[in-house]
Amino acid sequence: MSAPIPETTQAVAVPTAPPSRMDGLRRFVTKPTGALSLAVLLLFVLTGLFGPLFVDRPGGLGTDILQAPSASHWFGTDDLGQDVLAQVVWGTRVSLTVGAAASGLAIVIGTALGLFGAYSRRADAWITTVTDLMLSLPLLPLMIIVTAIAGPSIATLTVVIGLFSWPEVTRLIRSNGMVVVAMPYIDGARALGAGGWRIVTREVLPAVVPLVVVSVLLTAARAVISEAGLSFLGLGDPDSWSWGRIMLNAQRSGVLSTAWWQTLFPSLAILLLVLAATVAGVRFNDTRDPRLKDR
Amino acid sequence: MSAPVLSVDDLSVEFATREGTVHAVRHVGLDVHAGRTLAILGESGSGKSVTAQAIMGLLDTPPARVSSGSIVFEGTDLVGASERTRMRINGEGIAMVFQDALSALNPVYTVGDQISELLRVRRKLSRSAARARAIELMERVRIPAAARRVDDYPHQFSGGMRQRIMIALAVALNPRVLIADEPTTALDVTVQAQIMELLTELRRENGMGLVLITHDLGVVAEVADDVVVMYSGRIVERGSVEELFQRPAHPYTRGLLRSMPRPDREDDELWAIPGAPPSPLRAPGGCAFNPRCDAVVDVCRTDQPELRLIAAGRHSACHLSQEVFDGRA
Ligand SMILES: Nc1ncnc2c1ncn2[C@@H]1O[C@H](COP(=O)(O)OP(=O)(O)O)[C@@H](O)[C@H]1O
Ligand code: SF4
Ligand SMILES: [Mg+2]
Repeated sequence: MSAPIPETTQAVAVPTAPPSRMDGLRRFVTKPTGALSLAVLLLFVLTGLFGPLFVDRPGGLGTDILQAPSASHWFGTDDLGQDVLAQVVWGTRVSLTVGAAASGLAIVIGTALGLFGAYSRRADAWITTVTDLMLSLPLLPLMIIVTAIAGPSIATLTVVIGLFSWPEVTRLIRSNGMVVVAMPYIDGARALGAGGWRIVTREVLPAVVPLVVVSVLLTAARAVISEAGLSFLGLGDPDSWSWGRIMLNAQRSGVLSTAWWQTLFPSLAILLLVLAATVAGVRFNDTRDPRLKDR
Repeated sequence: MSAPVLSVDDLSVEFATREGTVHAVRHVGLDVHAGRTLAILGESGSGKSVTAQAIMGLLDTPPARVSSGSIVFEGTDLVGASERTRMRINGEGIAMVFQDALSALNPVYTVGDQISELLRVRRKLSRSAARARAIELMERVRIPAAARRVDDYPHQFSGGMRQRIMIALAVALNPRVLIADEPTTALDVTVQAQIMELLTELRRENGMGLVLITHDLGVVAEVADDVVVMYSGRIVERGSVEELFQRPAHPYTRGLLRSMPRPDREDDELWAIPGAPPSPLRAPGGCAFNPRCDAVVDVCRTDQPELRLIAAGRHSACHLSQEVFDGRA
């Protein structure tokens, strides 16, 4: 109708400016903690994916029994003469798979319930009660019972760990989702006719996605520990290698105190992976936090 | 005058708080007519925003509760309406412009995304058609270089431009009624005038009913057709703007008019009604305005005055309304 009116542009305090994806990654790796943790995670993923292509599946009986680490067996050998490095490499695949899948399951359930609780007051009462109950339960004994009943397998481990890990995610997403739900722009969306589903998926979920990413990393780290623990207790899949099973074998053959390499290397793998995932999670959180922009 | 598009009758809203029940809005009635501007005038805390939130269904229940009344839009009572009904009417039937556009727009989406998303969901437009329409709407509200700025985020715009974007969103679905809650309070004076002009223009063009919530008498005088004056959650006076400004029938309105800066009376220093509006938890008995009223009589401290008809199209809630109207009190 008429020409645009020029208007005084005032400088505004820039609120949570959504950084572009590349920008975010660059900021993530500028700190050594970010770059290092990412490199370690990448190394594990590559080992899990491609390691078994280069290392034979450990099995059968070898001649070099209970050898300490050497040039021919970097991580030493066990009482059957199998190469511990090969076991760790093959175990990486199972440990990562269970960790990732269980974490995925926990994240999906946890995020859905957390968002639902944040948005709906009525549902929230129930969700909070169930979450608090789950968090107060002694998890390890419960996981042991359920796994034992369901029969040990990779699938069982994944489902059991996943089903017992969502409450932390729910609590995190719910409390942060509630902050977003109280934002004026949620009223803005409702005034334009957005219903509950659209508000949760379009307005609240994108705002908590960074937390979901952090949760994925932390939950996966916890899931790897749970997997190792359950496998060490003999509740892992007897037909596939995992880090917990290597240690279980050491314990079963009574060499736990002598063949230190048989427990050290899988333990180191667990420690390194959990540490890297945790550091990466924390680092990611820092990059997303506008208050810590200069970090 | 034709039948109102939106008719609020006897609306009361209360909040359950730790200190007790806050009666934020009491027995409020309003009629919004197509193509006309209704101003809701009142000091801060008088219940204007809560009235608007009740109309839009934005009150959180609990703590809020609509304890009486109806909000009828084109034959549908919105009090207790289903979410489905609300979703249909909000945006398309009634839309709202908020005071603070920066916080009312989602910071993580570009303004173009926010406008096109609305059009794609509600008008079933394709991605490209919605984008084209979004640019058109941004041009309509006079965003310079709209085609380029469509991909900017809300925080990249100035306050006035953001308010224009929220207006573009609000009128995107051609609502019958547009509620603007203090749309210019956060802006500087020249920008305020431009935004008011834009709203008036859109109202005329689209034949919308415009509900303008404000505490600024100057704005009311300039753009409104009808006005209701609110005090402490109640409507204290109602009428057409010319008549009400010419001849107020309530001491509060009269005080507000007296406190208005007037270019023709420069000698006068700025006058203000003494005291402050009461907190809804500690409203005085009788007429809530009695501690500040210059015409107060004994009965004012005990009896709540009803909103009564005092002349054609004029209502006032004051024991002395006729006297004030006639200039005798
Ligand atoms: N969520 C709430 N909880 C309790 N009291 C509220 C709430 N929202 C508004 N009120 C009260 O309702 C009254 C009217 O508020 P409001 O409609 O925002 O006034 P205004 O006329 O300035 O827009 C105020 O006294 C305020 O304290
Ligand atoms: S009722 Fe009494 S106190 Fe209230 S406005 Fe009228 S004269 Fe003043
Ligand atoms: Mg207000």
